[in-house]
Order: sequence, then C-alpha cells, then structure tokens
Amino acid sequence: MPTWKEKLAGKMDSQLEEEIDVFETQIALRRSGKLDEKIFAETRLRRGVYGQRYDNGHRHDGIRTQELQYLSEMTKGPDTLWDAPGMQRIKIPFGGLTPDQMDALAELAEEYSDGVLHVTTRQDFQLHYVHIDDTPTLMRRLAAVGITTREACGNSIRNVTACPLAGVCRDEVFDVTPYAKASSKFLLGHPDAQGFGRKFKIAFSGCRERACGLVNMHDMGCIAVKRVENGEEKRGFELYVGGGLGAVPHQAKLFDSFLPEEELLPISQAIARVFARLGEKKNRAAARIKFLVTKLGIDEFRRIVLEERKTMPVDPRWTGYLAAVEKYKEKPSREASPLNGRQRPEGFDEWYRTNVYCQRQAGYAVAAITLPLGDLSAWQTRGLADVARRFSGDNVRTTVEQNIVLRWVSEADLPDLYRELKRIGLGDAGAGTIVDVTACPGTDTCKLGIASSRGLAAEIRTRLAGKFFNLDEAVKNLHIKISGCFNSCGQHHVADLGFYGTSRTIGNRKVPHFQIVLGGKWQDNAGAYGLAMGTVPSKRIPEVVERITDRFVRERQGTETFQEFVKRIGKQELTTILTPLMQGPAYEQDPSFYSDWGDPREFSIGDLGVGECAGEVVSVAQFDLAAAERMVFEGQLRLDEGDYAQADALAYRAMLQAAISLVKTQFQDVTDAPDTVVNEFRTRFYDTQLLGDRYAGSRFAQYLFKRHLSPPHEHTRDQAHRTVEEAQLFIESAYACYDLLTERGGMAAPLRPPVHTEKAAGIR
Amino acid sequence: MDVHRLGIKVFIAEPVRLQVTDFIPIFHTWIQKQIVQDHLLVDVHNYSHIHHGPGILLVAHQGNFSIDMGDGRMGLLYNRKQPDSGTIHDRFVTILKFVLRGCCLLEADPGLARRLRFRTDELLIIANDRLNTPNEDATFLELQPALSALFQRILDGTEFTLSRYSKDPKERFAVRVQTNQSPEVKTLLARVS
Repeated sequence: MPTWKEKLAGKMDSQLEEEIDVFETQIALRRSGKLDEKIFAETRLRRGVYGQRYDNGHRHDGIRTQELQYLSEMTKGPDTLWDAPGMQRIKIPFGGLTPDQMDALAELAEEYSDGVLHVTTRQDFQLHYVHIDDTPTLMRRLAAVGITTREACGNSIRNVTACPLAGVCRDEVFDVTPYAKASSKFLLGHPDAQGFGRKFKIAFSGCRERACGLVNMHDMGCIAVKRVENGEEKRGFELYVGGGLGAVPHQAKLFDSFLPEEELLPISQAIARVFARLGEKKNRAAARIKFLVTKLGIDEFRRIVLEERKTMPVDPRWTGYLAAVEKYKEKPSREASPLNGRQRPEGFDEWYRTNVYCQRQAGYAVAAITLPLGDLSAWQTRGLADVARRFSGDNVRTTVEQNIVLRWVSEADLPDLYRELKRIGLGDAGAGTIVDVTACPGTDTCKLGIASSRGLAAEIRTRLAGKFFNLDEAVKNLHIKISGCFNSCGQHHVADLGFYGTSRTIGNRKVPHFQIVLGGKWQDNAGAYGLAMGTVPSKRIPEVVERITDRFVRERQGTETFQEFVKRIGKQELTTILTPLMQGPAYEQDPSFYSDWGDPREFSIGDLGVGECAGEVVSVAQFDLAAAERMVFEGQLRLDEGDYAQADALAYRAMLQAAISLVKTQFQDVTDAPDTVVNEFRTRFYDTQLLGDRYAGSRFAQYLFKRHLSPPHEHTRDQAHRTVEEAQLFIESAYACYDLLTERGGMAAPLRPPVHTEKAAGIR
Repeated sequence: MDVHRLGIKVFIAEPVRLQVTDFIPIFHTWIQKQIVQDHLLVDVHNYSHIHHGPGILLVAHQGNFSIDMGDGRMGLLYNRKQPDSGTIHDRFVTILKFVLRGCCLLEADPGLARRLRFRTDELLIIANDRLNTPNEDATFLELQPALSALFQRILDGTEFTLSRYSKDPKERFAVRVQTNQSPEVKTLLARVS
C-alpha cells in the first residue's frame, strides 16, 4: 500500500520532513508507553495537535453524563484519550496563502477532518475532529506546500500576525510583510524560545491608527515607523510588549519608540530569553509576559532585555534578510484597470461598499470574502483557490476577523469576481461590519467553552443580516465579538459590543449567560478595552444588541463614536438599559432559556475540561532528554534492521543530546559541537559530581567520554548493541541528575556562561 | 484495492419540507440512546451556515453521519473513518448497511413524521482517499466489479448505471449509481443484510 510519506519524499523541505518523522516516532514512543503523557502532550501541542471538547471521555448528553467508551484506554495527554477527536491548528504566518496551499488545505479538511476549514482570530486555520494517528500524514501534505504546524499551540511563539492590507494599504508607513515573515522564520523552533511558561504572540502593523495587527493586545507588537537620521530615511518599529487579553486584559507598554529594523530580530530574541528565564512557570494564570512586564515595570524590563542583548552571540540571520526587504514585491495576476463602466450584477454595489478596499496602487483592489463564523467548506476552498488563481494570483490572506482577502484584484475584474464568489456561496456583503460577528469555537469544540459563542454569533448574524441595509450607518460599522468564556479568544475586549460566556443558576438549573463588555476599541490597534456591564441570559443577548444600538442611534451626538457614547452616558445608565434583561424566566415559564443556541440539550457546565491552551509547562531540559530517548529508540530500530553504523551513530548522538540538556541548564548558549558539549558536560556535571549521586551517574558518564574519544573502527552488532545500551543508561543518569537539580531548585540558566568555551579543545 | 475511507450518500426526496436544522435534536437523541449499532456517537455539529456544506454533522468514532448539503442536495451521508476488515466488496456492504440503517432511523423518527422519505434511485459513493483512489478512470475500472456485484444483488436485478460523478482531478473519486426504481430504504437494507 503506497503512503504519503513515500509519495511526498523529496517534495518537502528537508527540515520539515525530518521534524515530522521525529513527531511520528514520538507518537510511536507514546503508543508503546516509552514517552510520558505530559511530555507528549506538550510535544504534540507544539505541533499544533490540540485537544478538543469531550476528549476526556465524558459528555453530558442533556440528561446525564455519558462515558464515551473508546476501545483504547491509551492517552495522548493527562486525561485526554488517544482516540478522541482533536483539533489541528495550522499556522499561516501573516495570513499569507497561495491557491495551491488552499487546495491542499481543502483536501486535508475532507480526508482527515469534517470537510470544513475554520479561520481563527489569529489568521490560523483549524481543522476539527482529527484523529491523532492522521496528523503526521496531514503535516507531510502541508509541508509539501510549504506550511508547518510547528508551534501553532503550546508554550511557544505562536503565529506571527500582520495587517492583511500590508503592502497595499493607503495609510501604512511601509509594508511590514517581509519583517513578519522574517520574524516568523527566525523564531520558529529557536532554542531561546523553547522554555516559556506560556504562549507568546507577535503582531505587526503598518500604521498606528487603524485596527491592523491589533498590536496593543499582543505580547509583542511592532508598528512601522520611519525617521530621518543624518539626512537618511531609516525604517524601524515602535515596539510594544506585555499586551494581552485573557481574563485580565493588559494594554501593551511602549518598549522603544524607534527600534531600528536591524534590531528587530535580536531584540525579539533577547525578549524571548528574558521571558524564558524570568517568566512565571508554576502558575499558568500569571505566566504570560504581561505579568512579568507589570511585575518588573517597563523600565526595568527594558533594562534587562537590553543587557541580555549585549550578551548574545551574533547571528547572521539578524540582518541577513534585510537586503531582500526593499525588493520584496507581490505579483498581481492581471493588469490594473479601472472599474468604470463595467456592468454590475445584482447585489454588487452593496457588496462593493463593504467588501472592497481600493489599494494605494491605482486600478487594484482588495476583495474581502465574508466567512460566516470563519468557516468555509473544502469545496468552497477549492473554488476560492480557482477564483484567486484567476483574479488575484498568490496574494491571498486570512484576517483576524475570520475572513479571507484577495489582494491585487484588477478593479475591472470585480464584477466577474463577485459573480464567481456568489456561485460558490461566498459573495455575502458586510465584511468588517456589525453582521460580520467574530466568535471563538466556544462550546462547539473547545474544552474551556462555557456558553455557545458560535451559536449566539449565528443568531445575531441572522437577525442583523435581514435588516442590514436598513441599519443606521453608525450601527453598520460597529464590531461584535464573542468568546465562549473569559479567555477572550473571540477578542471581546476590543469590540464595540463584546460578550463572553458564563453560567448562572436559576432554581437549581444552569442557564447559559453572557457578560456584556461595551466600548472596546478595534481601531488604533486595539486602542482600548471595553467595560463589563453585567450578565444577561444568552437567549436575551440579541435583544441587548438591539436595545443598545437603538439607543446609540437615537442619542448619538454629531459624529460621536460608540466608545464616546458609552463613556458619555456612563455605566450606570447603560446598566439601566440592561437591567430588565438580566433576569431569566423560571424553567416552567420558558425552558428554552435553559438550553444554548443551536443546542437542544439542557445546559450544563459538566463538560468543561482542562484547557490545553497553555499546555503543560515542560522545561527545555525535559524536551531535550525526551529527544535523547527518541534517538536511542531509533538506534534500537536501526540495530534490529542490521544497520549497525547508524545504530551506533544514533546512540552517540543521544548521549550528546542528553549531555546538552543538562549543560543548557547552566549555559544557555552552548553550541552543539561534540567537543564543546563533552567538555562542558565534564566540567559542570562530572567533575562537580553532580551526575554522580544517583544511578551510578559518574560511571555512566564514562560511556559518553569513551565513545566520544574512541569511535568504533568497525561496526559490529555487539559494538552497536553495547553503545545503544550504554546510551540508555547514560540518559537514565541524566534524568536522575535533572530530577535532583529540580528538587534543589538549581535549574535557572545564568545570564552569562561561567565556563569559557575555549576550554572545549582540551578534552580529557 | 486497499481503501477504507469510503462514504455513501442517500438523497432525500422532497427536501423542501425540511429544514436542515430539524435534524439537530434528532442526532442529539441518537447520542443519548447510543442508537447506532457498532458506533460510538460523540457529538453534533451545526454547519448549516455553510453554503452547500456538511449541514448537520453527527460525529462518531468509526464514521460520521451528516445531513449533507453538497451540491445543494440534501441527503444522509455516511463517511467511514476507521478501517474495516474484509474485501473491498465487504467494505462497501458494511458502509451501505450503516447508511441505510441511518435512513431507516430517520424515516421512523416521530419528529420528522411523514415529512422525510429517502429516494434510492440514485446513490453517491465517495472514496475519501486521494492517495489510494485518485479521481481517474483507472480507479473506476478497478472498483467497478465490486460495485456492480453489490448493486446487482441489492437492486434485485433492476438495471442500473455506474458513472463517475466528476472528472475534476482535484475532487475526490466518486461514483453515481442510478436506476429507474426507488425501493424503500428498509427493502434495500433487508437485501444488503
């Protein structure tokens, strides 16, 4: 039977190919019980393989909680069953997509998921109901079109987002695309970004004023700026750190008003190192960088980062990409031509008003594809890829409003484009307006969802869409954003009308509710967060929207914005509007309040699980030791196959890897040159007898020294077998040493290496 | 041919009498009762907002059921996910059984009383595996004998045609089965069992 691995061999980036092979081995190790479930969980999360609701094997069916009896009791993480369907997140840096990639995504949605692609609020795609055994193949098929899922989840640097208009925007200072691309590439899998206690999100914007990349709500945000130095115009960034939503939203703090472009990557790296070293590890709820920045204060945080910057070994990649930045250019598929005089199909003008943005390049436009709830089917995705090939070329981007934009569309083509979009059911008007409601997955698939954000979003969208063209202009441009819980994946804090799911008890029964958050600011890069106003039963939220927007239309003063209106009339008055809606009826009066939108089951919060959003905190050393174990495992496989040279090489590499894992706890920047590793290991762990007090570690260390100094002259089964066995024992002693150090609390890596690497030449 | 991810769609006659969302409570009830033999039913997902999309999805470990709206035509689609034993003919029989059982359950559901009837003069068979069943003539030639044998048996000698549903190489391989008679789903189920 042919496999995708065979079919795609040589068609993937070799590094991606190797990474996926490694992941497949990790799956095999977990299956055979040789990899701890906690480490495996964080390992898969860092491949974008995420848990999904009910994967603990329990589901409330509206009457009782059922045990979902899968055949296997194996787990893929704590309390997470192997066979339970999961979610695969797919990173799309700055949202940039090609039609070929869209075709591949469509195929994967059909073959391994439920036929639907979901665009997230951070420009990723998500596939739901995926079986973990299918994920390596899925990743290979993505790798063949240049997409990785690496670090899409887990305590890592997530998808680097950027304004979807970057490069074509009429207001931007410069195109941030090549910088977002370079950051994404540089930081992907970077050793200094592996030891975080929580995730880290980066965004780029081309200007301050518009929503763009929502810089203010990111862990690190970069706004394009220019300044003149010695008569020369220089590019740089206004750099912000420590923003974030979640239960406790923080506005990002200004780190530097002008970070020169050549400092973007090194400062990003320095920030990552400081976050990895000083960020909270034990308390997940306080582990995002926003808490570290708040605790230290921005001035002290800045000082530490700049000190760190001075210590870092120079990396040519810091500036290597800059030569190509000036030349970065996108290629339209068609000549620019004005729209004037073209025949316009029915509905075109309404669609044009809300979904078309004229680029700064004359004759070209960006067309937004409104995706209800961020969803599109595999068939639509293929159709859209063909539309893009014809009208837009490789210039497709996802947006944080869960839509897709086609850039570089010749204006004259817009009527034909609209016809084609209508044909595949993607011609809805209203992109970026009040009907274009954003929602996180909520109780549909998320383990943390409390109330149905998607159900509510669908209901509001349906009600507003019917009267959209009659809505007041001031209301049309408001934003509604909904999260299923307080964790803010739906970005409710930065909406005009935001809602997050919660639960209340009425007469011993649970009732889905939403907390109302009013007056957040989408513009100015998520310039302000809204105010919580009170909690209303879910079934009354559409009425809340109607009452608040009606009042806004009636009492708006001049060109007053919604934020200004909310501020002017004040929380007390707004609460007065909402108070009559806050109480739910008794069950006997109206049982519909006791179930959620689109879900007839009686509402329950019994399905709430433990979130994987943050993942387990697994140290870099634990990952490295797990990697060493994997190498020994592969060595054993080669031994069984009779490939003794490879078995020996893998066993040796495994010992080096285990040694590195310990050395890095003291000397972060150790290179992986074998002489250096062995010398550093000997100095720090053997001579100091740190390795010696459990499991005869000092004796096992001799195995590494011996193999390092005396590689075998010929490869025999006996010799390879011995090296594999010795490697296994050495790794055991490294684990014991790690455990000991953890108990002693001596794991923090110092700022500077205490031992000079020049000593490496003097192997004893 | 080693293909396991197979699907069969049975179309609904006069679907105008139904809303796709009518099936949400029914599928939830199926989960409450774990009513589908040999399946662990997990969850219901509403995709009714997607144009010509998967409609309402009943997720099960072994294979998904959905009130599918593909091509704008409402029908019950069963998509096998877990591998089955036996020959390709055996696997077609198995999935046909599952989808027909699903049809019978729906036709008997009191919530849809007299509003739902499946038509059997047309079936759609989908191979959800581009590696093993690329959408090309060779695949059709390879699968045709197993399909012909199966439908000769269950259509009880009635003439039928098998044809490729689409020749677009990007689409999944799919075969349309057409006949000029439309026996009840329970009749077909009896013949296939």
